[in-house]
Amino acid sequence: MKQIRLIVFILVALAQLAVPASVVWKRSQTLAHGRVWKFKTEPVDPVDAIRGRYIALRFAAEKAKPTPEPDVAALISPLFVTLKEDAEGFAQVDQITNDRISGDNVIQVENGYWSDGWQRVRFPFDKLWVAEKIAPQAEQAYRENSRRGKENAYVTVRVRNGDAALEELYIDNQPLADYLRAQAAKK
Amino acid sequence: MPGTVNRRAVRWLRGQLPELVAAGAISSENAASIERHYASVETRSNFGFVILATVGAALVGAGIILLIAHNWNDLSRAARTIIAFIPLLLAQALVAFVLLRRNDSRAWREAVAVFDVAALATAISLVSQTYQVQGTFDDFMRIWMILSIPIVYLLRTTLGAIVYVVGAVVWLFDLWSFFGTPESPNFFWIFLLLVIPYLLICYRRNRESSETAALAMVVALASIIALGATADFAKSDLGPFSFAGLMTVIYLCGLRFLPRTDQRLSALAIIGGIGIGVVAIVLSFQSAWHMGHDFNWAGRSFPQNVALAIELIFPIVAVVLSGWDLMQRRARFSIVAAAAPVVAAVTWATVKICNAPGGHVLPADCSFVGAAVFNIYALWLGIDILGRGIGSNSIARANFGLVLIAALAMARFFDSDLSFVTRGLGFILVGAGFLVANVLLFKQRATA
Repeated sequence: MKQIRLIVFILVALAQLAVPASVVWKRSQTLAHGRVWKFKTEPVDPVDAIRGRYIALRFAAEKAKPTPEPDVAALISPLFVTLKEDAEGFAQVDQITNDRISGDNVIQVENGYWSDGWQRVRFPFDKLWVAEKIAPQAEQAYRENSRRGKENAYVTVRVRNGDAALEELYIDNQPLADYLRAQAAKK
Repeated sequence: MPGTVNRRAVRWLRGQLPELVAAGAISSENAASIERHYASVETRSNFGFVILATVGAALVGAGIILLIAHNWNDLSRAARTIIAFIPLLLAQALVAFVLLRRNDSRAWREAVAVFDVAALATAISLVSQTYQVQGTFDDFMRIWMILSIPIVYLLRTTLGAIVYVVGAVVWLFDLWSFFGTPESPNFFWIFLLLVIPYLLICYRRNRESSETAALAMVVALASIIALGATADFAKSDLGPFSFAGLMTVIYLCGLRFLPRTDQRLSALAIIGGIGIGVVAIVLSFQSAWHMGHDFNWAGRSFPQNVALAIELIFPIVAVVLSGWDLMQRRARFSIVAAAAPVVAAVTWATVKICNAPGGHVLPADCSFVGAAVFNIYALWLGIDILGRGIGSNSIARANFGLVLIAALAMARFFDSDLSFVTRGLGFILVGAGFLVANVLLFKQRATA
């Protein structure tokens, strides 16, 4: 009886380890080998902005103008979009489809609403976890640099076989941590 | 094995010893040796210690998380990943140790169970943060709970099982409060099914323990909440019928599986009984029978149909349980109370047929019929419970019957356009009924 119990426990323990471990494995593969895309950030509804220890992110590319124009009524979440780069090197949505496609330029998104030739989508990386210590400064820096007239922030996302891993938030072309350090040094 | 005996039974037996000796059934030597045999039972009251150990383990777990959160930002991704796994590995090593060496200590088992489950949550959430994994709270809860439930079985922790059921309810509320397209609550029932075998194990091991009763009660209350969400999601108008079924199942299970030697009812039976009363009163309102949903198979999703099937299970189980006992001629339950799902089913069908398109009856008249049936039923139920209370000399039960009748009367006073004089007279009548019934009951008890 004791032996059976121990064997069952070993299986349970392996399962408990496997869940976080599989996340680590998949994400580290994506971060190591995925294609880099830059997404310009947008202002966030202030009510939504900070929830504990992450920054809520919005992206300019979430307002998509896909070509060819999809049959809007048939779009049901989850959707898949292909990405392309604009003249400045930022990512934009190219096509939207219901079909499960894969590739280093494909991400799965949630459906938003259709308005006036624009399709709103939600990218699967709308939260950036930050350490509690720097969360308030990070939030402020993000807000100041992604408002209209001063759009100076973007994130890099690695995409591999449809898995999108948020890599880094850049403010003023510096990684968040470096930017905050530089700001602190200035004061 | 004094550690595994039922303490309540031992206390009862000890109380009986002087009488048994006096009656000559056993000698005083026998009585003394029985006393000696159970001497250690009372002193081994370690539940308080179990709670303290559990809280201690939880605090240690929380402390580890706080230590890790400190200076988190300066660590590399790889270092953070390794740290996320350390508490989990530590907890798992402790579980293995307890299974091998401290399997008989309840405090050890409960404490390492809490530690392991907390460490698992820590590992998942720290890894998610490190690798910027986005996911909703209910995704997290779901995977966490599925990976935690085996621990309840392996370490035989009833406290853990109760926490697990509460966790399932938290998951449900997180889902339910979601605005927009409602999400399927069906997964809750899988959560609940996963803990039922444990409840049965507890029951077989010690049916009279307060832990078994507490777990059964938590499962019953969670089912009531979840049935509300399920009925809401199924959009089938079957809610009244289904709730009558669930309450009856709880009532019957309380009576059948947790019988008490004295005339009292188990807590589970009380919840079920009160539930049947509440359902009867709610269904005596005409608005409960306005059937708003056009039932259209084509427009229904598969999860909605599963929810519908779940709704139907409870009345069926209720009818089977009561039918079985009736056939065996050992029904201890109130037949009027157990008939609630049948009455609800017949009424539901009548109102549904009456509402059928092309009929000549106004919908308002249909719902009036439904409400009228349940007014009569609620009154009958109240009288029956009152009668059973008087019969078994139980003041609580008799008064519950009266409360039911009074609630019905009050519901009608506020519901209908009666004059103040009529309402006043009604209240006086109900109040007098209470007084007379209680005076009679106490007199009967005094003479008995």
